[in-house]
Amino acid sequence: MWAYFKWELSQFFTNKKNIAVYVILLFLAIYFVLKIAPSYEPIEKVDVAEMEARYTTRDDFIKSVEGKDNIHPSVAFALAIFPGWNEYDKARIDAIGDKDYLKYAEATAGWYLYSDQLIVNSGDFFYNPLYYTYGNNYAHADGHYGYGYTASRFTGYVEGNSELSMELFEERTALQTLQRMLNDYLPIVLFISCIFLSVDIVLKDRRNPSLLKGFPIADWKKLLMKGIVAFIGSVLTFIPLCVGFIVIGLQNGFGDFSLPVPIYSYIEETFTNMPMITFILKNVLFMAIWFLFFIVISLFLSIIVKAEFANLFVSFLLIAAEWIYFERVMGAYSDIERYPTSYVQVGQVISGYRNFVYESPDLTYQYGLTIVGGCTLLLMILTLIVSKFKRFKLIA
Amino acid sequence: MIDLLELKKIGVQFGDKQVLKDISIKFQPGEIIGLVAPNGTGKSTLMNVIMNYLPPNQGKVILNHELQYSSKANEVKIHQDVSMMPDQSDLYNHVSGKNHLKIYQEMWNSDPKLIDDTIVKLGMESYVKKKTGTYSLGMRQRLCFAMQIVSNTQVMLMDEVMNGLDPTHVELISQILLQKKAEGKTIIIASHLLENLEQYADRIFFMKNGELKLVDDVSPGFSDNKVTTVRVSNFSQELLIVFKEQFPELAVQTLPNGKTLIDVKEQDTITLGAITQYLIAQRLTDFSFGKLTLNDLYSLEYQQS
Repeated sequence: MWAYFKWELSQFFTNKKNIAVYVILLFLAIYFVLKIAPSYEPIEKVDVAEMEARYTTRDDFIKSVEGKDNIHPSVAFALAIFPGWNEYDKARIDAIGDKDYLKYAEATAGWYLYSDQLIVNSGDFFYNPLYYTYGNNYAHADGHYGYGYTASRFTGYVEGNSELSMELFEERTALQTLQRMLNDYLPIVLFISCIFLSVDIVLKDRRNPSLLKGFPIADWKKLLMKGIVAFIGSVLTFIPLCVGFIVIGLQNGFGDFSLPVPIYSYIEETFTNMPMITFILKNVLFMAIWFLFFIVISLFLSIIVKAEFANLFVSFLLIAAEWIYFERVMGAYSDIERYPTSYVQVGQVISGYRNFVYESPDLTYQYGLTIVGGCTLLLMILTLIVSKFKRFKLIA
Repeated sequence: MIDLLELKKIGVQFGDKQVLKDISIKFQPGEIIGLVAPNGTGKSTLMNVIMNYLPPNQGKVILNHELQYSSKANEVKIHQDVSMMPDQSDLYNHVSGKNHLKIYQEMWNSDPKLIDDTIVKLGMESYVKKKTGTYSLGMRQRLCFAMQIVSNTQVMLMDEVMNGLDPTHVELISQILLQKKAEGKTIIIASHLLENLEQYADRIFFMKNGELKLVDDVSPGFSDNKVTTVRVSNFSQELLIVFKEQFPELAVQTLPNGKTLIDVKEQDTITLGAITQYLIAQRLTDFSFGKLTLNDLYSLEYQQS
């Protein structure tokens, strides 16, 4: 079995298609580093000019209406809340000027909490205008999420021991970039890579039938070895991406593993912080289960349908399915948590963002692992059973 | 003698065409079997059935009196003892010959020393570490043969093993086959090199109409070391008529290649002398006394209209 494993492994890494997958990932990483990462503009960025403008406007307003009688209730309300708000802004501006990042983090956490409390149920105030994009009917909710997220993040900076910096505040360090990408399309990119790497893991043997058919090894063992090889190959897709990680780290710092990652709780409607290392490990575990799922799908279909196109079609359908049925808040009236396809956006599931957009408390990391892992296990057993049938041959 | 491999009433049908018809045969250890037939008559099909690459419509393959292809687990057990030479077109062009040998040695868990021994025996030292994509047809063929030798299974099936080989390597491989036979291996070979096959095969079968025919049954006494045939070149029709009138008791056949075979089985020396005198008198000096060759039989079996 070990000999077969070594043979499969060497074939895997000399397969031109597989090499192409790694090269494309490397190019993507380089493109990301050179083009996408530098143009990243966070909504909640450290913008002193904006803070000063806000502060000055409110201060002028306070000075202009202070001590006057018979003021409109809304003016009175503004007069009541603006000093507190400005206190936070002033503290932020001063802290930046003094390069006292801890103080800045403290003031910023307070500012976002204070702002969110004022805006969330108010018709008079709005979140950062960048949330209010064309066609986004949930901009206000997104703003609430964004402010809560940022408040939690900065609270984490205050409570933690990480070395603070402007790059850290704007989530530009390598680990934070990785975290952002995990919440974005990185899992999808890795899943697609895994699908392409494993799509021909069984069917490639059709090109050398007389050489391989007579190997005295059971089909299920062959499938197991092929699965392990495809899994190792899929896990190693991280390596070309590491190039991007290292370059970003050298440019903006690497961050550290204790950095806070805000996790949203749908039930409590609050954020709690998770250490970066935990967040990454949870992502790795979940993606590993997904890798296994895609690999087992390829193994199973390769025995049953014997067409690479079928492997691709079914696997891509699984990835794309959520885009087909996804609607905001649909979790409130539909059992989306029961579909494995609802867990494709791994990082968003772990961070609680999927609970937020689906408005469902049930779409959890644990439940996702159970669903996807259960499907994988079921398919593995099915593949094992099918591989025992004489009519299903690996090489026809 | 103990039977190592047995085929029992094997039948294979593709559509209306019966490719293998009720074939029953036993193979013993230390035996080389030759399969001879034109292309497309079922030699490869028979080998594929023995390997269970092609399950037969009827009949069974039995190894060591007990193992049959009744389950996939049994198939693995049988494949530990029965192997088939890979086709040279199936080699991995980006992999070296040595690595091909290594995987076969490791998969069958045979003696690692076999790799280097076989490389030396087949004179592959100069190229075995190069990628097979750079090999000539003969080099690839030698590698395929070496792979099977390295697997060292009890039963070895070889389809057209001598394809693309020069006479030196044909002889080299023939010697290795004899050595493997001496080690007790059962070797089943399909080949078109009939003279070569005749040298080392213990039993030779013709395949015709889906059946296996032992050449000794086709031509009784074929394997005996007796003078049975006079082979004459350029025997003209006119002279042949006269010859038949002079020797009416002798069976005479002219092959498509122009050779005329005179059956002299059980003829006394006087008759043989008379034949010689007649041929010399007619200036037919290109003749020989001997036995029927496999080529002759092949011609008679497949080329006679």
